[in-house]
Amino acid sequence: MANPSGLKYLSNALATLDQLSNSSSSIDGVSPDLETSIRFAGTQLTQAAGVLLRLSQDIISQAVVTFTRFWIGAEGGSLRIYSVKDVSAAALYMTAKLSFQPTSPRSVLNVYAFLLSQDASPLWFINPKGSPETPPAPETYCLTEGGYQSGRLVLLRTESIILRTLGFNTHVALPHTITLTYLQTLGVSSSAVARRSFEYLNAALLSPQLLYVTHQPNALAVAAIYLAAREEGVKLVDDEWWEVFDVDREELGFLVVGMRSMEGFARAEREKWQGRTIPMVVDQVDGEIERRRMMEEGE
Amino acid sequence: MASKSRWADDDPETEAILAQRKREKEEKRRAKAEKQHQLEEAQKQKDAAANADSEAPPKKRRRLSNDQQDDESATEPQSKERQDKPAARKLLRFPVHEWGPCRHVDNFERLNHIEEGSYGWVSRAKDITTSEIVALKKLKMDNSPDGFPVTGLREIQTLLEARHSNIVYLREIVMGKTMDEYSGINHALQRDEDLPCPCPTTNRVFLVMDFLEHDLKSLLDDMREPFLPSEIKTLLAQLLSGLDFLHSQWIMHRDLKTSNLLMNNRGEIKIADFGMARYYGDPPPKLTQLVVTLWYRSPELLLGAEKYGTEIDMWSIGCIFGELLTKEPLLQGKNEVDQVSKIFALTGPPTSQTWPNFRSLPNAKSLRLPQTPSAPSGNPPLLPRAKFPFLTNNGLHLLSSLLALNPSSRPNTQECLAHPYFREDPRPKPKEMFPTFPSKAGMEKRRRRETPEAPKRGQEAPKLDFASVFGGNPSSEGGETGAGFTLRLG
Repeated sequence: MANPSGLKYLSNALATLDQLSNSSSSIDGVSPDLETSIRFAGTQLTQAAGVLLRLSQDIISQAVVTFTRFWIGAEGGSLRIYSVKDVSAAALYMTAKLSFQPTSPRSVLNVYAFLLSQDASPLWFINPKGSPETPPAPETYCLTEGGYQSGRLVLLRTESIILRTLGFNTHVALPHTITLTYLQTLGVSSSAVARRSFEYLNAALLSPQLLYVTHQPNALAVAAIYLAAREEGVKLVDDEWWEVFDVDREELGFLVVGMRSMEGFARAEREKWQGRTIPMVVDQVDGEIERRRMMEEGE
Repeated sequence: MASKSRWADDDPETEAILAQRKREKEEKRRAKAEKQHQLEEAQKQKDAAANADSEAPPKKRRRLSNDQQDDESATEPQSKERQDKPAARKLLRFPVHEWGPCRHVDNFERLNHIEEGSYGWVSRAKDITTSEIVALKKLKMDNSPDGFPVTGLREIQTLLEARHSNIVYLREIVMGKTMDEYSGINHALQRDEDLPCPCPTTNRVFLVMDFLEHDLKSLLDDMREPFLPSEIKTLLAQLLSGLDFLHSQWIMHRDLKTSNLLMNNRGEIKIADFGMARYYGDPPPKLTQLVVTLWYRSPELLLGAEKYGTEIDMWSIGCIFGELLTKEPLLQGKNEVDQVSKIFALTGPPTSQTWPNFRSLPNAKSLRLPQTPSAPSGNPPLLPRAKFPFLTNNGLHLLSSLLALNPSSRPNTQECLAHPYFREDPRPKPKEMFPTFPSKAGMEKRRRRETPEAPKRGQEAPKLDFASVFGGNPSSEGGETGAGFTLRLG
């Protein structure tokens, strides 16, 4: 019998019921939909920063999962105590540090200064006006030396806070490589299916259903292959092939629905926040909650 | 205020503000706990009112899966296969891990100090709630400008992953400060620009590990006679099996030595101290050359190889094997140059047959080999028999191959475990039959013998001049006869 501990390499720690039903933010009065929006924006911010830092997608994906885990549960981080932008930066920095492509605090902070700039950011939830026609003044997106010094302290401190909150559980197994193995096992040679599967897997990182902290990589891989094969019109074996990969029909069904809903969710978010920014720091979260309270009272 | 904060420490006003903030923070936290409690109460009532069997939604997901299997096999005869062989439908379930915040170190009562290693400080402690005895290892926080030390992160990450009976079990990580303190700091930080220390929140991080009575080094020091051949076999096999697991998980240990091998009174040996361990890959990432304690460091590292692999761990195993046989560290060099000469004295100098590429290693350029290399037969050549009089031929062959100068000639863990040495008489002694020893770690301060430490991270790899390895240095006084050539020690 193979040592079952070897499976750690393929599996992840999952959120418990308690962690899923209570978040620190909700206890602090952040409404669930606001929390979802902010977390969604935070994952996109992390992804964008990872791309600008030229980190490989596996590092970015692991950072997004770490970022997601941080906010879960009553003992997790609260949006009214920690700024999303800081947690995003620290998760990315820490994940890169442990990887084969470490990056420096300065690079990370430069990238975040640019992405968080209200004038220059390419991100819709930070700069709703979109890219300006004339390039904005450099001081709107460049990091000052003082900004770097204080930003570095926040970055390193947030790193420690993430580590403590997660009990140093930095291990994140990703479904991408086993997806390729499964495709080979299924005899699928179409690269379009592989590409589409990866697109589903990467999109699922942003899922409001927190798919990466509720399902093991093998299930995510199977669901992505199922959807990709259907979309690309590639016929897979007739039998219930997902059971070969230890996924039952019910779990597959749930994940398929979850992954397919991503596009609609992203669209809805964009519409919901049309023209407004999504709060990225504690003060903005407080402001948004206050604004909503006033609106309610006004009605 | 921001400009003042540099002197915040001796400004009573600022201190008062900070204290005030901290109080507010605490109140907020208390209120939060209260609120959560209320929520939980409300939830409980709701649950009780709603239905009797609402137990746990997340478990529900998992439970449903099983239910469905049961249901389907019971009610839906459509799937013939399912009825024919229900056992075949058993799906593998991954072990479910969870995460939660670190506990406070006050959950442990410290009993006695065990030792101060290069990477931290270890003491024996008791878990207050369960009364279990554990080893607490304090991580060294080097106040690095890069935040939490990457070596510590790797140590934790690799240990958490390396669950094997021959690898020390890391139970959890605990910390030395409370949540309130650090969240308060974070809040203060967003207003004040700078606080002195980059990471005061994590300056006390402890690894909680299973306690083992001995380390192999002090055990060997205190024993009158070395282990019996059958005992050495058992120890070596366990060591190889632990290392085999590590390598199969893409982890290199990079600091194997007898003082990092722990042993209990049940004849079990466990690999510990992952302060140098890291993941490697294919192609290998950029690695530091400053690894492995000098006496256990392989020749390719000493000669400055920029790329290396798990072979460096195999070399260390060879050194440990030799140490088990003779009770003394095999190659006790005083410095890098001396270490290389000690190695060549044991194995004979490298030749273009035994190690074709060694000349291209950075530090090999200055290496002057003796004019008439005594060319021992075999590849790798056998070590001198006289040095290990009680070792069988198979044993000598295994040892010689582990201590092959050419890294690619060294066997991997699998090949070692399959070696005839482990199947010939005397057979490995069953673990249960092992003698027990009084534990120094358990009761009293360890006597520490001087052994070199693992290299410190962040140092520059020294550019070494090996011109003097084979007597090139005229000022050296003492000389020693090596394997077929004269060796002078500088």
